[in-house]
Amino acid sequence: MLKIINGGIETVVEDWPGRIGYLDNGMSSSGAFDNVALGLANVLVGNQPGEAGIEIAGGYFQAEFEADAVIGITGTDMKPTLNNEPIPLWESIKVNKGDVIKFSHFAEFGFRTYIGVAGGIDVPPVLGSKSTCLFGSYGGYEGRKLQKDDVLKFGKPSKDLDSLKGRKIKEEAIPKYSREWVLRAMPGPNTSPDYLTKEGMDYLFANSHKVTLNSNRSAVRLAEASELSFARPDGGAAGSHPSNVLDHAYAIRGSLNICGNTPILLIADGPTLGGYMNAVHVINADLWKIGQGTPGRDFVKFACCTQEEAVEARKQQREWLSEKSLA
Amino acid sequence: MDQKNYDVILDKLPEADSRPEVLFRQAGDGFLQVEYGAIPRFNLVDSFRVLTVNGAVKAKNIKGLYETVPGIRTNMFHFDPEVLPVKKLIDEIEEEENKLENVEDIVFESRLISLPIAFEDSETKKAVAKYVKEVRPGAPNVIDDYNIEYMAMCNGCSVQEIKDMVCATEWYNSGNGFWPGGGFFWPLDPSNAIVVPKYNPPRTWTPEGTVGIGGPCLYVYPTPTGGGYQLFGRTIPIFQFAQKHPLFKEGPTFFKAGDRLKFHEVTEDEILYIYKHVHEDTDYVYDIKNDMFKVKDWLEFYNSPETQKGVKELLARQEAGTKAAPSV
Repeated sequence: MLKIINGGIETVVEDWPGRIGYLDNGMSSSGAFDNVALGLANVLVGNQPGEAGIEIAGGYFQAEFEADAVIGITGTDMKPTLNNEPIPLWESIKVNKGDVIKFSHFAEFGFRTYIGVAGGIDVPPVLGSKSTCLFGSYGGYEGRKLQKDDVLKFGKPSKDLDSLKGRKIKEEAIPKYSREWVLRAMPGPNTSPDYLTKEGMDYLFANSHKVTLNSNRSAVRLAEASELSFARPDGGAAGSHPSNVLDHAYAIRGSLNICGNTPILLIADGPTLGGYMNAVHVINADLWKIGQGTPGRDFVKFACCTQEEAVEARKQQREWLSEKSLA
Repeated sequence: MDQKNYDVILDKLPEADSRPEVLFRQAGDGFLQVEYGAIPRFNLVDSFRVLTVNGAVKAKNIKGLYETVPGIRTNMFHFDPEVLPVKKLIDEIEEEENKLENVEDIVFESRLISLPIAFEDSETKKAVAKYVKEVRPGAPNVIDDYNIEYMAMCNGCSVQEIKDMVCATEWYNSGNGFWPGGGFFWPLDPSNAIVVPKYNPPRTWTPEGTVGIGGPCLYVYPTPTGGGYQLFGRTIPIFQFAQKHPLFKEGPTFFKAGDRLKFHEVTEDEILYIYKHVHEDTDYVYDIKNDMFKVKDWLEFYNSPETQKGVKELLARQEAGTKAAPSV
């Protein structure tokens, strides 16, 4: 068990792939913002890669273990300490009852840290997933971010704790962080020639787009793209702006929504349906990078990708998030 | 970069009789959007087609198809591309699409749900008061601390006529979305089709069961949330996460695509009484009729001289009303 001393900026329980199959009920999938860091944290502690872990955005999370456990910390380096002694990322550590774990804030690269716990986080699955949907206030721990005095229970570890400690992620399997995140993306469903001009599409792919402060678990807002050029004068029956369409489903997670001239990445808890066009779609295997993009500091850049490459990338990611990545 | 990289139309079916052209659009590595008509139009007939083909494709239990999300003139297919290649998915959809010859012959299952509504209730008035205080003081769509006067103004009619129009038409759900369990309901009687602009900017809070209209579309807010539709009243619960009431035994949501709503006016006390009997005593009995919707009958009603006469009159009032109402 883990008793929360300080929930920090935004700390939530998330699993992967989240709550799949409820989009037609207006329920987005939620799920870990960075499923690669969560997956590797789980691999460290002998869990399935999609098991529920703790996602810390920004930092300042602090908690006390009320039982012995094995944990793995991954993601951005928030300078974690155990009883005020520094502890490493990307390897599994045995912790004892009474130990206090404490995180500072996000590092030079990346924005989110994950804690994987042997046996996983034991919260009741809601519609098949332990993920928190912050915007719907359901799932995870009471449908909200963690706060002081909350107590998280752990599941049953796959092996005895001593055999799970001291495992490390191979150097080459540790994800490379950056301040410019290259997101492989497939054009569609609203592109040139009918929605944007070819120049408009080129603009999206050729430039870096700043991740703005107005971002959260449902949408990552990018800087206004004033040079984006549309192929039509207005949205016809849907509205006066050419980015308006008659409400259609959003391909969430990963769709790039064009709201007026503002490109917005729709992710985790985002809207399932709405009245704006979507120009490109970040492939499933690269969604994790969006979760490490630091608002107000980092940039994203889209790299055009085919369906075949995207499918191959899914296979590679499955290999990556396995015990093959252990040293 | 080469132009063909942006060509996302993976396949097309030609226009045929009542069917507009069907476009199969790439929407991601696990998403395919099927769109009806190259030129966007608002026509409920397209939604009837979307839902019919949607039902047929889902009945095939295609391996690797996670789910579908119907919209008014589109359908989004979410699939696992490692199990289901997009080309195979398109073939499966086209097979069902080609079986459907004439949209006029469509008959589909459609529950008729009667919902009580309390107009101008105190809870939705609180939402408007909060908006004026915290979001937009002096918002032009708020008159006498509420939205219903503004709605009447936009439609060139009285507040009472707004209430009558809400209760006169059946409302058809083209599909759920936006918020868990919420449906997008469209008026089936065009001579009672209220049209209003949306909030600018949106609200931060709307109480459970609030009924709002934005454009021609009606939405019931399932849980407290933000939102941008004009408010005029409150109905009974349509969502229950605790799943205590028998209606929510299978899942926390109520509405399904293809449902129809019919409202009748009650007092606010009655609404509050029902909340207690849904959420606490769990013994309220919802009024649901299992029914079939015949497109042919609806088209006959829609195109009848009487309906069209009403539409003409309404459009004239709305045109005058829109000119008189301040823009948001």
